[in-house]
Amino acid sequence: MKKFLTTAFLFTLATMAFAQAAGPVAAESWTSGRFLAHLSLAIAAAGCGLGQGKAVSAACEGIARNPQAAGDIRTTMIIGLALIEALVIYALVAAFAIK
Amino acid sequence: MEHHASELAKLLTNLLGLSRHAWGSFMDGAPMSFIERYDYLLNAILAAITTMIIVSVVKKNRIPGPMQQVLEFVTTGIRSLVADNIHHHPDKFMPFIGTLALFVFLNNFFGLIPGLSPATANWNVTLALALLVFAYYNFHGMKEKGFFKYWAHFAGPVWWLAPLMFPLEILGLLSRNLSHSLRLFGNIAGEHIVAGIFFGLLPILLPVPLMVLGLFFGLIQAFVFTMLATIYLSGAVAHDH
Repeated sequence: MKKFLTTAFLFTLATMAFAQAAGPVAAESWTSGRFLAHLSLAIAAAGCGLGQGKAVSAACEGIARNPQAAGDIRTTMIIGLALIEALVIYALVAAFAIK
Repeated sequence: MEHHASELAKLLTNLLGLSRHAWGSFMDGAPMSFIERYDYLLNAILAAITTMIIVSVVKKNRIPGPMQQVLEFVTTGIRSLVADNIHHHPDKFMPFIGTLALFVFLNNFFGLIPGLSPATANWNVTLALALLVFAYYNFHGMKEKGFFKYWAHFAGPVWWLAPLMFPLEILGLLSRNLSHSLRLFGNIAGEHIVAGIFFGLLPILLPVPLMVLGLFFGLIQAFVFTMLATIYLSGAVAHDH
């Protein structure tokens, strides 16, 4: 079994050999639309990380204080996380829309 | 963004022998058949048909078998979601909310199946769903409260603030559609694109955690979509007793 898994893993790695090395890529200017769109996506992701961290920490504290309400707190946390993440998704969609 | 037709659409095109022609400015005129161009419709219809088949084939015994238990779990879950928010006749709204939840969840699930693509990965589909929810809760709000009283509650608490509050509230109402549809679209389309990239990088190992994440997030996004639709509905229909 172990030999089979090792062989399968090595075959999977070998498919990477089909990828070709990219040639030299032209540098893009700092003021181009695409660069700024992707940079704004990175900033949005940073803000999202902070916000979701606060939400999860408050949920953990709530569950620690009141373990019986864990189900309700968990549901509320999931909804809150999805809503905060939606803001990053808007930035992602905007980054897709700029060619 | 490019449009890759799903494998099912390609298979059907080859089986039925449909002609491929250019669609003008879409994807630089790459030749596609009708089914390949509109393959999100194909996947959406497939999700709807799968829902109908599952619901109708399950035998409804008094002692439930396993499939019936799963469906009962889903139904009681959706019912508790609706009944917690809407206190007055929740059963009237349950069919629509339940259909929405099952449709969105099945579409998100199709993203994991190799030949199909999720129909919700297309902004047209999610915008249509969001507009449907918009029409539904406005219609029921107007039906419950009467035409003028429903729009009058956007005027705010004091009558002399109405010229300021009314446009802002209407703008908020319209922007809800955009956010509702973009949330679902962005999540599913983003996951689909990243899955495509990961399949190109390392075919067998790397996509597996991504597919687990995709299933988890697909379920969560279906749940959030449904819950928000229920909250909008309860906001429109609620009576202040």
